[in-house]
Amino acid sequence: MSLNGQRIGTVDEEAVLADIAGMLATLLDEYGLDDVEIGMDTTFNRDLELESIDLVTLAGLLEEKYGNRVNFAEFLAGMEFDEIIELTVGRLVEHVVASLKAAEAG
Amino acid sequence: MAIVDIGAGLRLHTQRIGPRGDRPVTATAVLVHGLLTDSLASYYFTVAPAFAASGIDVVMYDLRGHGRSTRPATGYTLDDNIDDLEALLDRLEVTGPVHLVGNSYGGTVAFGYAARHPERAASVSLIESEPATAAWAGKLDGILGRVMHELAHNEADAIAWITANRSQNTARLAKGAARLARETTLAQDIPASRVLTEEEISSVRCPVLGLYGGDSDLAEHAPWLEAVLPDCRTVVVPGHEHSVLVEASGTVGGHILSLIHGATAAPVALAGADAR
Repeated sequence: MSLNGQRIGTVDEEAVLADIAGMLATLLDEYGLDDVEIGMDTTFNRDLELESIDLVTLAGLLEEKYGNRVNFAEFLAGMEFDEIIELTVGRLVEHVVASLKAAEAG
Repeated sequence: MAIVDIGAGLRLHTQRIGPRGDRPVTATAVLVHGLLTDSLASYYFTVAPAFAASGIDVVMYDLRGHGRSTRPATGYTLDDNIDDLEALLDRLEVTGPVHLVGNSYGGTVAFGYAARHPERAASVSLIESEPATAAWAGKLDGILGRVMHELAHNEADAIAWITANRSQNTARLAKGAARLARETTLAQDIPASRVLTEEEISSVRCPVLGLYGGDSDLAEHAPWLEAVLPDCRTVVVPGHEHSVLVEASGTVGGHILSLIHGATAAPVALAGADAR
């Protein structure tokens, strides 16, 4: 796994990226893909070729890991359709970090 | 994720979300997706979170052959799909009246369930959809015939055309649809479905909401639907076609929430993408 992109500033982001890369590896393994590099700039649609039903599975994995502190469905429901198509792993990592920090603060 | 075994080797992928914390559940809604390229994801990432937040127990599932549900080779008539919905709600012990929501073919399934069990339907919302009539079956026969011809027999050319003229995403969905059409009797079964008589259609006395994209062929069904049903209102969303659910989910979801929560005036504002 490579950490491409320059936006990884904190330990938090690195840890969350590692978590999410692990979840995506589980998903991709079902398609027989076990050596896909996942970084902050990786797109779910173009690079990983995930379909929306795969993202439902990812939502379940995120909930297992972070409980109700992170709500992936609500995050995507607030986006335009084109934004979802262009969604990167980095944007999800940033959302998870922000949600976890908000839960800590709250 | 929950996999619900409804018997006969069929396992339906189901997602159920409700209000957070101790907010009480005030209604149950069952959301049914469309054919071939569709799955429960079309609701999960659009209207479902806002429905749940408003106090609704939201049940979504993948139709047989679609999404993460099992794919038997046969059994794809409308009545088979209605049987599956009945069995699923039995397994989930959802006994009271439910608010049915269906997109495209999912609306035909939802309406068929309401016609079979009028006492179990609190309301029906049809998004880009219509009840099963002879005209509907004929139209589906044409559409599915073309899908079978283009994708099952000339798949490589068709996918190349879609990739060049639409998008890689659409092409990927089309490949999935081609697999479903090839591996099952869906394309033969749906047009051969038993359709409803006008009496059966007008026996659905609960409130019905029809939502159509202004640029969709289906919008012309709105006046007919209002005329044939005792309690029906239709809304045409300008500037959209058949994908109005995912493209204008704020507007569509707001109208459905107003129906479910019994409002008759302006739709509930919903924080969807298009509502901003």
